[in-house]
Amino acid sequence: MSKKYIRPVLRHLFLAALVFVWLIPILWLFVTSLSTYKGINTMHFFPTHWTLDNYHQLFFRPDTVANFPAWFRNSMVIGCCCCVISTFFVLMVSYAFSCMRFPGRKKLMSFSIILGMFPGVLSMIAIYFVMKLLGLTDSIGGLIIIYSAGSGLGFLICKGFFDTIPASLRESARLEGASELQIFTRVVIPLSKPMIVYTVINAFLTPWMDFVMAKLMIRSKEPSHWTVAMGLFNLVQRTLVGDYFTVFCAGGLIVAIPISVLFIIMQRFYVEGITGGAVKG
Amino acid sequence: MTGKIKNYFAGFAEAVRKGDRWTRSSLLLFGAGYIGRGQIIRGILVQLIQIGFIWFTFGFSAQYMMQLPTLGTVQREETFDPATLAKTVNDYDNSLLILLCGIIGIFFILAYILLFFQNTRRVYGLQKRAEAKEHINSFREDLHTLINEKFYLTLLSLPGLGVLLVNIFPILFMICVAFTNYDKRHQPPTYLFTWVGLENFKTLFTSSQTVTFGYAFIRILVWTMIWAFAATFTTFIGGILLAKFINDRRTRCQKLWRSLFVITIAIPQFVTLLLVGKMFGDYGIVNSICSKIGLTGFLKSIGLVGAGLSYIPFLSKPGWAHVMVILINIWVGVPFQMLSATGILMNIPNDQLEAARIDGASERQIFRKITMPYVLFITGPSLITAFIANINNFNVIYLLTSDYVSTNMKFANSNAKEPDLLITWLFNLTNNHSNFKMASVIGICVFLISAIGTLISFARLIKGNREEDFQ
Amino acid sequence: MRKRILSLLLAGAMSVTMLAGCGGSGKASGKTEGNTAKEDPVQTLIKNTKDPVNLTLWCSETEAYQKVMKERVDAFEKQYPKVKFNITIGAESEANCKDDVLKDVEAAADVFVFPDDQLDGLVQAGALQSVDATYTYDPAKANTKETVEAASRDGKMYAYPMTASNGYFLYYNKNVLSDEDVKSWDTMLKKAGEQGKTVGMEVSGAWFLYGFFSGAGLEMKKGDEDKNTCNWNSTDGKYKGVDVAKAITEICKNKAMVNCVNEDAQAFALDGKMVADVNGTWASGAFKKAYGDGYAATKLPTFTVNGDQVQQGSFAGYKFVGVNAYSKNTGWAMLLSEFLTNEESQSAIAQATGEGPSNTKVAESDVVTKEPAIKALGEQAPYADLQRVGESYWEPAATLGQSLVEGNYKDPQKLLDDAVAGITQ
Repeated sequence: MSKKYIRPVLRHLFLAALVFVWLIPILWLFVTSLSTYKGINTMHFFPTHWTLDNYHQLFFRPDTVANFPAWFRNSMVIGCCCCVISTFFVLMVSYAFSCMRFPGRKKLMSFSIILGMFPGVLSMIAIYFVMKLLGLTDSIGGLIIIYSAGSGLGFLICKGFFDTIPASLRESARLEGASELQIFTRVVIPLSKPMIVYTVINAFLTPWMDFVMAKLMIRSKEPSHWTVAMGLFNLVQRTLVGDYFTVFCAGGLIVAIPISVLFIIMQRFYVEGITGGAVKG
Repeated sequence: MTGKIKNYFAGFAEAVRKGDRWTRSSLLLFGAGYIGRGQIIRGILVQLIQIGFIWFTFGFSAQYMMQLPTLGTVQREETFDPATLAKTVNDYDNSLLILLCGIIGIFFILAYILLFFQNTRRVYGLQKRAEAKEHINSFREDLHTLINEKFYLTLLSLPGLGVLLVNIFPILFMICVAFTNYDKRHQPPTYLFTWVGLENFKTLFTSSQTVTFGYAFIRILVWTMIWAFAATFTTFIGGILLAKFINDRRTRCQKLWRSLFVITIAIPQFVTLLLVGKMFGDYGIVNSICSKIGLTGFLKSIGLVGAGLSYIPFLSKPGWAHVMVILINIWVGVPFQMLSATGILMNIPNDQLEAARIDGASERQIFRKITMPYVLFITGPSLITAFIANINNFNVIYLLTSDYVSTNMKFANSNAKEPDLLITWLFNLTNNHSNFKMASVIGICVFLISAIGTLISFARLIKGNREEDFQ
Repeated sequence: MRKRILSLLLAGAMSVTMLAGCGGSGKASGKTEGNTAKEDPVQTLIKNTKDPVNLTLWCSETEAYQKVMKERVDAFEKQYPKVKFNITIGAESEANCKDDVLKDVEAAADVFVFPDDQLDGLVQAGALQSVDATYTYDPAKANTKETVEAASRDGKMYAYPMTASNGYFLYYNKNVLSDEDVKSWDTMLKKAGEQGKTVGMEVSGAWFLYGFFSGAGLEMKKGDEDKNTCNWNSTDGKYKGVDVAKAITEICKNKAMVNCVNEDAQAFALDGKMVADVNGTWASGAFKKAYGDGYAATKLPTFTVNGDQVQQGSFAGYKFVGVNAYSKNTGWAMLLSEFLTNEESQSAIAQATGEGPSNTKVAESDVVTKEPAIKALGEQAPYADLQRVGESYWEPAATLGQSLVEGNYKDPQKLLDDAVAGITQ
C-alpha cells in the first residue's frame, strides 16, 4: 500500500525540487523588482520594504537613462519587421534549395552553411562600416536590415521540412497548370505552418535579446532611440547599477510578457517546428 | 571540373568567332545582342546594368581599388585657424574605407567579368535560335520564366543580396584585416594601416614573457573545446531526461510542469544571465547565504576555497568559474532541449515500443535500446550544430564573467582570461583594445574549426541523395 | 535577371551616399574671404555661420549631470542669440567614453566629457582637437597647474579641465571610527575588526593598487612611445617591491578588510557593515546616506612597510571636456567647451554634482570647501600623482592586485617581475 504511494510522491517531489532550482532566479528577479532599495540587495533574498514604484518609474517616469516605453516600441517595431522579412527569406531560400533543381545548387548550399559559421562578433565592425556607407547607422531601419538580411542562411531546418513534403503534391499542381510561384504560395506555404511559427518566433526574439550589435549600430545617446536589450543592459553598468537594478529587474519581467504570449500561442507549433524538419528528415 | 571550364570558354570563343554583328557588338555593349533580336526591353535593362557597373566602378570604387596595394599613403593633417575658428583638413586617405570599398569594387569587377562571358554566350545562343528560325522569347515570356523554371533566381536574389551585404563583404574585410597591422596604434581615420603579411599569424603562435598570444591561444582553444563539448552534452542529456521524466505516464499535470520550465525561456537570456551572474558574485546573495550557513567556512577547511578569500569565488577563479559556467549553462539550456526532446519523444513509433513491452523489456531497457538510439539518430546532425553554436556561445561566457580578473600574468598580457572562449576573447580584443589584427587572426581560426566541423557533419546531409528519399 | 537589376540599384544607392558624404570636409576654409584680420574671431564666426549649428554633447548619464548640463547649454545658447543651435545632450558612461568615441570617431559627439585616464588613448587615435586658441577665458591660467598639465601632452593642451575630483580618498563613519583611527590601516582595521565591522578598498583594481607602490616611493609611469616604465620589482632602495607586496597582502589578510568594487561597497555601507571605504566623489551620495551624521572623509591612511608607517599615495583624477577633431563645427564646439568649463559653469557643476572644480577660484569658494569629500581630496593631493599611464598597465596590474589580495603566491619577486614585464611591454 505505502509503496504504491511513495514512488509517485517521490517522483513529483523530485520534479518540484527541479522546478524550484529553475525558478529561484526568476523569483529573485520578481521580488527584487518590488524592492524599495534600488541597488542589488546582496544580504537578503527578499526585500525589506515592498513597492510597485519600480514599475511606475519604468512606464511613467522616463529619465535620462531609462525610457522603457520608447525602448519597447522600438523593439516591437524591429521585432515585427524582422519577423516578416526573415520568415519570407527563410521560406524563399528553403523552397529554392529543396524544391527546385538548378546548376550549382549543392555548392551554393555548402557555401551558405559555411558562411554561417563565421563568428558574427568579428564581422560586426565591418557590418557597421558597410551600413555607414549606405547611410543606415543609427536608425531602426539599419537594425532591421542587419537582423534580417542574413536570415536566408538559416534555411537548413526549414529545408529539411520542405524535403518531407511529398513531391507528388507539387507535381500534380504543376499538371494542373500552376506556376512555381503558385505552387510555392498555394501548396507549400500552407503546409509549413510549424516552420513559419518557428521562424517567426526566432526572428521576433532577436531584437529583444541582442545588445551587442544594437549597441554598436545605435550611436545615439538619447535613450528614446534605444532598444529594450540595449537599454536594460546599460542599466546594469557599473555607474548605474546601484540606482537602477530594481528597474532593470522590472523591465526584464515586462519584456517576458510579449515573448510568453507569443510562446503560449505558438507553443504547439514551435515544438513541431524544432523537430519537424528532423523527425521525418 | 576543368572539362566544364574548358567547355565554357570554348563556347565563348565560338561565340566570338561565329557571332554576327549583333553578337559581336554585345562584346562592347551588352544590350545590343538582345535589341538586335527584338528583345528590346531586355536589351535596355541589360545595357543599363552595364552602364551601372561602369558608373559604379569609375565613379566610386576605382579610386579605392587603386590604393589597395598600400592601403593609403596620405595621413590626415589638420590646421586650425585661430582667427576664424575654422579648420582645414587635407585630403587624407582612410585605410579602412580603402580596404572595404576596394573589396566591394573587386567583387563588382569579378561580377562584371562573369556577366561579360555569360552575356556573350547567351547572345550567341539567341543568334543560333534566330538562324534556326526558332522562337525567341518576348519580354513577357522572359518574365514568365522567372516564376517558373527560373523561379529560384527570383527566390534567391533578395536573400542573396542581404547575405552579400551583411555576411560576405564584412567577412572578406575581416579576413583581409588579419594580414594588416590594424590595431590601436594604426586606427583610421587619423592613422593609416597597411599590409604586414603573415606577421599576425606568427604572433599568435609566439610565446615570450610579454607576447603571450601563443600561451593564451592554446589554453583558450582547449577550454573552448571542453566547454563546447560539455555544454552540448549536458544540456542534451539533461533535456532528454527531463522530457522523458515529465512525459512519463506516471507524472500528473504534464503541461503544468513543462510550462514552469518554459518560463525561464521567456525572460531574455541576457537578463537572466546578468541576474544569475550578480547572484553568484563575490559578494552576491548566494555568497551571503553560504557564509551564513557556514558553507564558505567548510569549503575553506577542505581547501576548495583559497585561504585568502572570504567568499566562494563562484565566477572569479579558474576552476570554479569553469564549472559554474557549465552548470549555469545547463540551467539556461535544458528547458530548450526539453521542449524539442518532447517533440521527438512524442513521435517515437509506438509499435516499436509496444512490441518491446510485449517482449517483456523493462522501462530502462526500452529507454536504452529504443528511445536513446532513436533520439540520437534524429538529433545527430543538430547536435553538431549545437556544438558549433556553443563554440561561438558569446552570451553565457561574456555576461557571466564580466567581473573576472585573471591572476595569471600570461593571460593578462594578451588581454585574455581563463574562462574566455575564443569568441569572447576576440570580442574583448576588438571592443576594448582595438586590436583588430589579432582578433581577425583568432576569428579565422574559429571559422576554420567550425567550418571543418560542419563540413564533416553535413557532408552526408548535402552530398547523399537523402533528400530525394522522402519526396 | 532580377538579381542584376537589384545590384544595380544598390550600386546606385551606394554611389549617391558616397558622393553626398564626401562633400562635407574642407568647406569651412572657404568662408574666410573678405574678413579683416583685426575683427574679433568670435564675431567673425557668428557672421560666417549661416546654417543652424548642430552639436552633440556627451556627458555622464546621472540625473544631476544631465540637468546641470542642460542648464549650462541653454545659457550658452542665450549668449549667442543670433545663431540658431541644435544642441543634443547624450547620456554616456564616462568610463566607456573612449571606447565609444573610437569605434567611429566621425559619428561620435562633437563635445564630450571624459576622465583623464582616457586622454592618452584619445590623443593617440587623433580624436581630440587640441586647444590651439582660446576666446572667452584662458583655461591654462584659470585652472590649477596639475589639471592643466594632466590635460596636456608634449606641451600641447588637448582638453578643457572641468573637475579635479576624480581621485580617491577614504570615506569613514566617524560614529564608529575616530579621526585617530583612520590615520593608519593598522589601527583602522583593528578598530573596525573589534566592532565586527569592515573596511573596503578595491585593492585588485589597478587604479587603486597604484597608491601602495607610489606611497612607498616606487615608480610607474608612461615613458616613450606609449611604453610604461616601472620599478615595482626593484630590489634596492629604501623599500623593495617585495616589501610593498607583502604589506598589501598583510592588509588584505586582515579579517576586517574587504576587497570589493564600488557597487558592493555601497551596498555594504548601506547595510551598516562597512564603516570605511577607499572610494571617489561619485559615491559621496551613497555614503552620505549610509553614514548619516557620521559621514566623514579624509586622506588615505598610512600603511606599514618594513615596520615604517608610509603614507599611501594615489592617482589624482580629473574630468575634461574634449572637442572631437572630426567635428563639423569645430569653432562652435570649442566655444561650447570653453563655456562649459568656465568659472560660472564649474561652480554650477560643483554644486549640482558634488564634484570638485579644477578652476582655482571656484575651488576656494565655500560651496566647495564645505564638502568633506572635496576637502579630503585636497588633503590627499600632496600624495597624489598625475595619471600618466600607458594602456598596457591596466590588465597586468589588476592581475597583480588580485594575486596580492589572495596572497597565495610563493615567490613575490617573480610575481612582481612578471607584472612589471607585462606593464612595460
